[in-house]
Amino acid sequence: MTSGTLTPPRKERTAPAAPRPGRSSRRRPFLAPYLFIAPFYVVFAAFGLYPLVFALQLSFTDWKGAGAANFIGLENYTYLLTSEEFWSSLGNSAVMWLLIVPVQIVGGLAAAVLLANARLRLRGMFRVAFIAPFVTPLVAMAQVWIVAFDTDYGLVNHLFNLVGLPDVDWLQSTAWAKPTLALLFLWKTTGFAIIILLAGLQAVPADVYEAAALDGASRKRQFWSLTLPLVRRSIAFLVVVQTLAVFQMFAEPFVVTQGGPYGSTSTGGLYLYNHILASDLGTGAANSFLLVLLVFALSLLSVRLLRSRDE
Amino acid sequence: MSRSFVPRRSVLRGALGVGALAATAGPLAACAPGSSGSEPRKLTGTPSASAKGEITIWNRSGDLFKVFDAAIDAFRKAYPDIKVNHQAVDIDAKLANTLISGTDLPDGSFWDDAKIGGQAEHLYDLTDLIAPYRDKTSAYKLSVNTVDGRIYGVPWDLDPGLLWYREDLLEDAGVDPAGLKTYDDLLAAARSLREKNPKARPLHMEKDPFLGQLWLEMLAGQQGTSLADADGQVRLDSKEYRNVLNWIRDAVDDDLVTHTEYLKQADLAALESGQQALVPWAVWWSFAPQQLLKKGKGKWRAAPLPAWTPGGARSGAMGGSSFIIPAKAKNPELAWLLYEFLCFKEPGYSAVYGPSEVYPGGLTTSVPSYGPARRPDKPLFEPVAALGGQDLWKVAVDAADTIPSAAPIPAWWAKSVDYLGNNLQRLIEGKMAPDDVIDDSTKKIQRNLVDRA
Amino acid sequence: MTSLMTSRTKKPGRSLSQPRPGPLQYLVLGLLAVVFVYPIYWAVSSSLKPPADIVRDPLSFSLGSATLDNYRAMFGDVPIGTGFVNTVLVVAVKGAMTMFFCPLAGYAFAKYRFPGKNLLFGVLMLTLMLPTLVLVIPLLLEMSQLGWVNTYQALILPGSIDAFSIFWMRQTIAAVPDELLDAGRVDGASEFGIFARIVVPVIRPGIAALGVLTAMNIYNDFVWPVVAVNDESHQTLQVVLSTLAQNVTGNRVGADFATVWGELLAAGSIAMLPVLALFVLLQRHFINGILAGSVKG
Repeated sequence: MTSGTLTPPRKERTAPAAPRPGRSSRRRPFLAPYLFIAPFYVVFAAFGLYPLVFALQLSFTDWKGAGAANFIGLENYTYLLTSEEFWSSLGNSAVMWLLIVPVQIVGGLAAAVLLANARLRLRGMFRVAFIAPFVTPLVAMAQVWIVAFDTDYGLVNHLFNLVGLPDVDWLQSTAWAKPTLALLFLWKTTGFAIIILLAGLQAVPADVYEAAALDGASRKRQFWSLTLPLVRRSIAFLVVVQTLAVFQMFAEPFVVTQGGPYGSTSTGGLYLYNHILASDLGTGAANSFLLVLLVFALSLLSVRLLRSRDE
Repeated sequence: MSRSFVPRRSVLRGALGVGALAATAGPLAACAPGSSGSEPRKLTGTPSASAKGEITIWNRSGDLFKVFDAAIDAFRKAYPDIKVNHQAVDIDAKLANTLISGTDLPDGSFWDDAKIGGQAEHLYDLTDLIAPYRDKTSAYKLSVNTVDGRIYGVPWDLDPGLLWYREDLLEDAGVDPAGLKTYDDLLAAARSLREKNPKARPLHMEKDPFLGQLWLEMLAGQQGTSLADADGQVRLDSKEYRNVLNWIRDAVDDDLVTHTEYLKQADLAALESGQQALVPWAVWWSFAPQQLLKKGKGKWRAAPLPAWTPGGARSGAMGGSSFIIPAKAKNPELAWLLYEFLCFKEPGYSAVYGPSEVYPGGLTTSVPSYGPARRPDKPLFEPVAALGGQDLWKVAVDAADTIPSAAPIPAWWAKSVDYLGNNLQRLIEGKMAPDDVIDDSTKKIQRNLVDRA
Repeated sequence: MTSLMTSRTKKPGRSLSQPRPGPLQYLVLGLLAVVFVYPIYWAVSSSLKPPADIVRDPLSFSLGSATLDNYRAMFGDVPIGTGFVNTVLVVAVKGAMTMFFCPLAGYAFAKYRFPGKNLLFGVLMLTLMLPTLVLVIPLLLEMSQLGWVNTYQALILPGSIDAFSIFWMRQTIAAVPDELLDAGRVDGASEFGIFARIVVPVIRPGIAALGVLTAMNIYNDFVWPVVAVNDESHQTLQVVLSTLAQNVTGNRVGADFATVWGELLAAGSIAMLPVLALFVLLQRHFINGILAGSVKG
């Protein structure tokens, strides 16, 4: 690093200095910030950019993991863009998105509002319970999902039968496979969403509410006119993060359904993986870049839609 | 080889991580980005018995691994100077990657027949070495691993299809199993069984798309055809496939079908209750009565499959694996020696198929590809108590002899399950007509797989 | 907005205007908590049941009939001990790299102005959108060229300094008052000294949260380790789990599904418990860290 000699700050001089005009602190060093960020770019160049350029090159070839790589121009891209399966994988992802993101935001916000209440007892316990799924290994839980949602011998149908409901073909029917996978995703990540939203809520200064209460605003109106605008940033953050995650979703369908039944859980990420699996590396690379573009556009769009008017 | 018995689909499901990343590359000679660029290598000479060295052999984990461990012990006795590291590996997840990267390769590995053709570039050409044994080796097994006339995977197990049936139920319904000579006879038998027991849906049809397609290939292979011809072109639009698909539709229309996943709980329940009584399936189904079924134990028997035309072949192959030697293996000659010992030498194949600690009666889930090891009068495994003491060996080797030779399995075979395998399911569910299965699958396989191969 | 550093520890201040939560609220939260925790409890408790019972009666659990059979069978099947050791090693080294370099880079982006900053930050954010899968094959070929297949460096270096952590640290550090840094400068501290002695102590909760999240992510990572390593001695825990998962698809001759399920649940539980334990021990840091870091998100 820049500092060969570190002089410990002397205590008697650590009293806060008066804020100085011109933000001098950000001007002085020239080299330091570059050195601080350099490691990321070095690692990225070596293990991100280099393979990425390679992948971009691959996307214009028909390379199959062995033999010659022939340049075929945009053929991989046009193949995908005219392929029913490519679009249906995006369609599946879009349905997953609808099943996941709105539910998570609305449900997470409701839970966060309840948790934000200062008079709530056992708050710490609830928080731990909600976020516990977030730290479990996905591979392990995906396997638990297979066992729990088995049509004939699974836990969930067992519970259904206890209350007189018939067996549901959770993972074997095109109607239920998506919701069942969405449930795994929701189960695993909603705790994280709740904490993020809670953070947003708690940053709303109390006096804002008190003022509103004095003005006689109803709770409902307080929520719509005060709370919601103030957590908008948290919501935007979540929507972007989860949109990225849903469209790249891979491990859940890979472990639990392998994209079936009839390709109904073949998500964008899984469809991409299947090219790799079949060593169709050129098409796989092209698919990746299409997916990156889409995800990028969606993120921009959600940020735009959720940006508050005053920003 | 272990997965001869069981769903061969970790390539599609199960095996976590990036599976066979490059399971299906075309055999091209030129240099590729990241590939070694070496010409396909031929292995010709064989070393003498005094050969020395160390080899690493990959195999799948599980009970079969233990069987091979014992057989490899026999090899160690015959060749005391060769050290064999026998490793249990998730082959579907690892082997293709390892071949591409060329690092820490095994000297030899067992692998599914369907995977080998696509990796020929990375494998030793073993044509010359197998030449002395060729005449006596199953023509079917030789045909599936041939790429441009060269053999890159040498045959290991042969998996003939058989008709598995409940002897007690057939007898109750007045059906003589010996009379089940054609597939129409089979439908008639199914009707008789249902007359006797209105709850019976006697015929098993597979619900897992991958296994279902493998099963379809068995029925087609019995008629001497397969999904792709020797040039890799789809040949689904044929009389043979129409025979099979129409027969399936008839069985479905007549409500004679139990549509379940291979030996999953629902399947087992239907087998135990007598709802299912006729299962046309590979020899590896034998492990169900031996290990899984309780009530039905001792009541199941095996017979040759019915024929599609009177006097036609009575079996087709369903699955199978071969042995490969990576082109960058350090000790390919010694790996060949091990394969030769296990496959062609009496102490070798007896150790694999004969009684062992893991399987006291012997390994009953496939038969050897090598003719002299497959003699009806010289059984390697014992009559099976769970089949009422039936001499399964004789039934299986007789059936194996009738399997017609086929064409090389195309590198895209596993991927075609998304089209043909899924459409077969729609047919069994009564949602698609045979002609539509053929047209739609052909069109999609052509566009997505053949044209892009 | 109040300073983040204080708001995260402060109780929400609007208690006066808030009603006491009623039974309905407790019921809703309680039910939600059960839904979140039950699958974990079910997996762990089922792993202690005789295999046949997992299938026959998925709900019941009695301590009396608890058995470690599934664990014994699982240990006999897969080298899970080796997996643990490798995972710990990778988590330690890769985690240390993340914990050192990401706050440092986050600091540079939060508190310095320098030519090209926006461009560099844009590049960083763009990398967030790359699906890991894009890189798997090219990266594998690169490892092979370097002779790094089956090495710890292949498991550790790619992704060791990641964009998300830097972004997160930038958010956290942005909230540190500039006055504190200026004070350090007046003292003649070097730029790195300011980071190490002033910034780090102030954002310690955020770094703790980063630590927990990073350890968890590395621990749970499985796509890359499966590809990068093919010998048993370097397998991480998740790779070992994946080997076991082969059995679910019926790969194992002679094993019935109940047995396979039992082993799988045992392996899942044993993989889950260390992270859960770590999380319960450090949950305050973790949650507070997210609270602190995300507000300005």
